[in-house]
Amino acid sequence: MRLETRRLLDRAFSGLGVIAIGVMALALIVILTPIIVKGSGAFVFRSTVEHRKVMFDQWDRGNPQRIEADKAAAAEARQPVYDMLSAFDAELKAMPRKERSLYKKPLRELEKALAELLGPVPGEHTPVLIRQQYGATRWDRAKIKLDELLYTEDWDYSNPDALGVLVKTPRVEQFRGTALEPLFAYIKENISAMMRPRWTFYWQFLFDTSKDSHIFGGIGPEVLGTIYLTLGAMIFAIPMGVIAAIYLCEYSREGRVVSFLRICISTLAGVPSIVFGLFGLAFFLNTIHISNSKSVLAGSLTLSLLILPTVIRASEEAILAVPHSYKEAALSLGSGRWHTVMTVILPAALPGILTGTVISMGRAAGETAPIIFTAAVSVGRPLMPLEALSQPTPALPWNIYNLSTEHEAVDEIRHVQFGMVFTLVALVLLLNLFAIVMRARISKKLRG
Amino acid sequence: MKKAVMSAALMTAVAFTGVAEDKIVIDGSTTVGPIAKAFAEYFMAAHPGVNITVSESGSGNGAKSLINGVCDIADMSRPMKNSEFKAAIDNGIQPVAHAVALDGLPILVHPKNPVQELTIEQIRSIYTGVITNWKEVGGPDMEIVVITRDTNSGTYETFEGLVMNKQKITEKAEYVGSNGAVRQRVQSTPAAIGYAGLGFVDKTVKALRVNGIYPSAATVRTGEYPIARPLFMYTNGYPELGSAVYQFVTLYLSEDGQEIIDEIGFIPVTSY
Repeated sequence: MRLETRRLLDRAFSGLGVIAIGVMALALIVILTPIIVKGSGAFVFRSTVEHRKVMFDQWDRGNPQRIEADKAAAAEARQPVYDMLSAFDAELKAMPRKERSLYKKPLRELEKALAELLGPVPGEHTPVLIRQQYGATRWDRAKIKLDELLYTEDWDYSNPDALGVLVKTPRVEQFRGTALEPLFAYIKENISAMMRPRWTFYWQFLFDTSKDSHIFGGIGPEVLGTIYLTLGAMIFAIPMGVIAAIYLCEYSREGRVVSFLRICISTLAGVPSIVFGLFGLAFFLNTIHISNSKSVLAGSLTLSLLILPTVIRASEEAILAVPHSYKEAALSLGSGRWHTVMTVILPAALPGILTGTVISMGRAAGETAPIIFTAAVSVGRPLMPLEALSQPTPALPWNIYNLSTEHEAVDEIRHVQFGMVFTLVALVLLLNLFAIVMRARISKKLRG
Repeated sequence: MKKAVMSAALMTAVAFTGVAEDKIVIDGSTTVGPIAKAFAEYFMAAHPGVNITVSESGSGNGAKSLINGVCDIADMSRPMKNSEFKAAIDNGIQPVAHAVALDGLPILVHPKNPVQELTIEQIRSIYTGVITNWKEVGGPDMEIVVITRDTNSGTYETFEGLVMNKQKITEKAEYVGSNGAVRQRVQSTPAAIGYAGLGFVDKTVKALRVNGIYPSAATVRTGEYPIARPLFMYTNGYPELGSAVYQFVTLYLSEDGQEIIDEIGFIPVTSY
């Protein structure tokens, strides 16, 4: 080949490499930016006075005097709204029955929209569901609720051959000439005074239990459940995996059986995770009854089976990468096989083993399918370590799926969904960082 | 270092002794899920020693869990089948039904869709694939996107029993795994049709009148709305009186329980 052709090929190849890396970086940015931006919205956001009420009532947080002052100021700003409502009530009573019935539906809708923005009318019956005891807790949600209050949405189907068109009409039109007419302008003007938005750093989101199926509160049980499941999987997978790798590399004689075993392990690594989930259900729960319901234990065992092949392969590679001369030197000094493995080979292979295990740890933390049938539930308390043996737990990967598809109020809790995604990604990232640091430290120690 | 070890040991000791005294494991229907979750929240606030976990995996899975003895309460949006009863009895489990609420099955379309009303026959024809265009039922010229639930779902079986009349659902239908997923699919697809529990209807989707009747508490309770059903919680035998499970499955009889069901959007069994 001519020199120029070679150079050209060389350049083309390095160019392709740069493009590949660029595409990857771009993909990373496209994926991570919304996760970080929207996910941090679960922690840092403009909270309304309703959020502070929730915090105070449900978690005893905040200075009582300041909360009282806050509530009083908001209540004062809201009072005219309730005054107008009662004035309208009096008006209604004076109306002839026929006219009154015309206002029945609009009034009910208005009251519903008001309750979603401000919470229930003070002094009236307190709803049982916590989600209906408070108004909009976040300023961004409050603005949406305000819009729903100010405008009614109707669909215009006048053209039967085409799709309907959304028509937004100011709700005030329904109440022209009544005591409620000034209500809408008042709320629009004074929304800030009524909701009192303030920037809040809600770091407890990470640790709080959720209230009323994730509508309030944080993701504590999910984070704890993910940690339990991951640690549990590691407790089972690391000893088994490393011992298996040592056996395969140091003790076994190469032959048909061993190469068959290797093929099995590689195949196991390629089995889809849902198959492991179903196996876990069928074996751990329905056959050997490891616990009498789904449990963290059953989930951990299933996850450990899932990552076992990765741990074995990574450990094997690490052990094989230890220079042969180390082993020969140890053996020539008269040390036995067991002694050689424990004092020479394993320490030298440790950085590699560690990297492999931590990468599989990240996988265990993020897997959904194996825990659906064995460990994960939609709601539940944070568990004590001993309870993990017999009880199921919420866990981040499953709850992300559950909240974004199955939950009855998906649109109300977008921030929780993004907060969970953000936390899970951060958790896996931290694990990987930890692996890199550990690896660097151990290698340094070995060299020094 | 010593101090850290000591405190760690202390914390573990505290952690191990602080075990909750009781637990209730609930599995099953995604329709009954919101009721079970709200009940769990209410119940745990009153009984801090009890840990209630709720999973939403579908009525069929709920029944299987109860049969295999891995849950205390199975939420189901359909009655248990004879085959499931038989499997349960063979396993030494005696399923007892508690009908906790009523539910109408609203037929959902995108709010843009001008169609307001269908008959049961029209719905059946849409789901069997005989009617494929909204034009044929008075709508615009759009190919109908048929959304249905997975076969593990009690909602699916209710729909199959009350609407399909033993006819097969078209192969073109899209199967999705939960009520929430049906709503999401319908709210993002102007030409879609789907069905879900009453508690999942919000203003992003439109419920149709069926045979001229709009699904509401009144029309479901009187049986006027044709696609309606009770929602169940199944236990193994009638729960021991006074136990946490007993208190939980009788919650729907209390005034607060009925209000919760009402507030979530389902229909209490009696008008409280």
